[in-house]
Amino acid sequence: MTTTASEPTLTGDERALLATIAGVLGDDGLRTAAYGRATYRRDASFLNAEPLAVAAPGAVEEAAQVLRACRDHGVPFTPRAAGTGLAGGATPVGEDRRPLVISTARMDRIVEIDVAGRRAYVEPGAVNLRLGQAAARHGLRFAPDPASQIAATLGGNVATNAGGIHVLTYGVMSQHVLAVDVLDTDGVRHTFDGTLPEQAGLDVRGLTVGNEGTFGLVVGAWLRLLPAPPHVATLLAGFGSLTDAADAVSAIVTSSRLPDAVELMDARAISLVEDYAHAGYPMDAEAVLLLEYEGLPAGVEAGIGQAEQLVTEHGASTVTRAADSAQRARIWKGRKAVAGAIAKVAPDYYLQDVVVPRSRLAEMLAEVLAIGEREDLTILNVLHAGDGNLHPFVLFDRREEGVLDRVLAAGHDIVAAALRLGGSLTGEHGVGVEKRDFLCDVFGEDGLEVQRRVRRAMDPTGLSNPHKILPTPAGCAESRSTMVPKGAWV
Amino acid sequence: MGGIWLRPESSDEVAEAVGDARRGERALEVRGGGTVLSRLGDAARPAPTEDADVLSVEALSGVVEHPAADLTVTVAAGTPIDELAAAVGEAGQESPIEPQLAGQDPLGSTVGGRLGTALASPRQLAAGRVRDWVLRVRYVTGEGRAAHAGGATVKDVTGYDLCRLLTGSWGTLAVLTEVTLKLRPIPPTRAWHRTTVPRSQWRAALHDPSAIIVDSEGTSVLLEGHPDDVAEQASSAQLAPSEPPTLPGGARAAVDPARTDDLVAELDALGCTWAAEPAIGLVHLDGDDAALAGARAAAERHGGRLLRLDPDPQTPTFGADPGPEPFAARLQHAFDPDAVLAPWRWSS
Repeated sequence: MTTTASEPTLTGDERALLATIAGVLGDDGLRTAAYGRATYRRDASFLNAEPLAVAAPGAVEEAAQVLRACRDHGVPFTPRAAGTGLAGGATPVGEDRRPLVISTARMDRIVEIDVAGRRAYVEPGAVNLRLGQAAARHGLRFAPDPASQIAATLGGNVATNAGGIHVLTYGVMSQHVLAVDVLDTDGVRHTFDGTLPEQAGLDVRGLTVGNEGTFGLVVGAWLRLLPAPPHVATLLAGFGSLTDAADAVSAIVTSSRLPDAVELMDARAISLVEDYAHAGYPMDAEAVLLLEYEGLPAGVEAGIGQAEQLVTEHGASTVTRAADSAQRARIWKGRKAVAGAIAKVAPDYYLQDVVVPRSRLAEMLAEVLAIGEREDLTILNVLHAGDGNLHPFVLFDRREEGVLDRVLAAGHDIVAAALRLGGSLTGEHGVGVEKRDFLCDVFGEDGLEVQRRVRRAMDPTGLSNPHKILPTPAGCAESRSTMVPKGAWV
Repeated sequence: MGGIWLRPESSDEVAEAVGDARRGERALEVRGGGTVLSRLGDAARPAPTEDADVLSVEALSGVVEHPAADLTVTVAAGTPIDELAAAVGEAGQESPIEPQLAGQDPLGSTVGGRLGTALASPRQLAAGRVRDWVLRVRYVTGEGRAAHAGGATVKDVTGYDLCRLLTGSWGTLAVLTEVTLKLRPIPPTRAWHRTTVPRSQWRAALHDPSAIIVDSEGTSVLLEGHPDDVAEQASSAQLAPSEPPTLPGGARAAVDPARTDDLVAELDALGCTWAAEPAIGLVHLDGDDAALAGARAAAERHGGRLLRLDPDPQTPTFGADPGPEPFAARLQHAFDPDAVLAPWRWSS
């Protein structure tokens, strides 16, 4: 594809920046033509913007030179790993200046697995699942396991403070990041170390996890590995109603043994993935619960025994315990395949991420169903139920006239309902561009001002992933109900 | 003029007190139960002085909300840890942020104090750190801004993670006024064990022990969980039931866990009594001034820090710096531009 006449004209600074980067990275590391840029316009959200170019450094020193060039020429940048983010965090939004996308795709090594120290050093582009597989060869595991782990990278997991299926007892990403190496906007490398058990000064490491690319570029991290559990048991329970399943979750979570994972899928999700996963999901159920207990055998058996009793008491029509690791793998394969399987029934989906207190799950599910009916949209529900974390998938076909407005309205109403029930507007996907204007209401002016100051403390230049997380003061005044900036949707 | 005690009863009163101090160019020490501050020597002002007023959060006390079905609890920052434990214990739940072993001098007796210092508890090995149990904080910055971070749900990535930043900030940056914590069920069994066999010979037999504390004569191990699992684990590692260990209380050295054994190897020669938690990188110490000075030098040589818990104001007590520069200084300026909150805290 050749550059068209509508290609924006470069400023002097932009031309100079690209010339410098071309000198550092060569042709392999820089894409400037429209075709090369096109796949970097958006992440897995529908937010969409035009990057200046795409730079892919292959080493820390190259990345440092790219950042210094951005600083010298006043050009903003957007870090990007696999682009599986769902809130537009990797969408290169710039109001007057197009950001340079800095891709970590060529920095994707698992550099070291320190078996005795139970930790691994990884580059930001390394894929989550690969670390899990590499750790397993040593009898270890990496706990954070987002459903997108087959593609999502550890750098992206750091950026969003990702969660996953086993957050309930193992905690979110931050709990597994021992230290993080960051290039600041001057291209200077810093290690934010969380190795000391106490007396370590301010936890800048913890602040950095979840920064959504606004503190510079994460170029490496030491991650915590855990011993693989000696015993695992997985239970599949089918229910005749969503409410019964949600009530069972509350009973299980407050029992004397906390499960390590509690996932809920509704009938639509079940029917989509069963053909693919052959997990044995009950096809006549309105909802299934997937429960997992890990650890020493007696505790696991006691936990799963209690769970069997509780799901039965709450009206489960089928209760199946995975007979072996192969069946367990099929059960989880189905859960993780939901997003991919949607393609069979709808060309597009919009995935939400909200959290409510666990005792409000049934109420929140009812809200989601009502919102779907009101907007005449099919919504299927997959939940990290033990965490109170809902992931409604809103299905649509973008070719349908006016559908995007209804999808956005549904998304907005889902977030508003979660907040009304005492919940949070994002549990693990991040704020990105999508949800930034909600922060006006969530934090209030003083809380927002503190957040803005923190950002300036970590990036005084404002060049690192601008227009993300924090609303502008004008955004708070004008557009409280707008989830997405005009023109940013595909 | 001498300093005064301030005892605000609400977040608004905290903001007012901080604002007054700022305008009057007075510095403030924020005090919970005072169990740590009173032992920090020149790094703290546990009582009012010429240059400092004390802002006590003791009147900000009590359980605000304990929705047991959500496994969370919200308390005012000055709530005693014992009161928190009793309240959630009635529902069979616990908050694993307890500071010390039963029967020892408390290090942090209020929830706010525990978050402020974030000193490691022996159960940190399996339970994780204090900061990993904090879901939401309400705070007043050194500039007098009252706000919150995090949420009352078990996951919330809205905005920057200030819960973790403020946990372990030692009374700088902001005054915590209210804290929401994640809870968990109380383990059905909890039992200390003891062995004199070196841990390399039995450690692999244990899955996820709750605490391991080594001293010069043997090793204490805390096992928690199902009674059958605890019995089986103890048997396979040949551990005998025992009383909890007694820890030296004069100082605490924190190092990278990988360096703990190296540090401990130097302590006998220095004349220190010690008990080490090698898997988390913590060494509890006693000794005379010279011995502890030597231990500090050794800890720092290994990239660590030493905290002297000593009421003698003549000895330097606190070895911690505020964190990676230039960010730590910029963050302090972001929260507390006029250095109102404990400007004497950090060693640098």
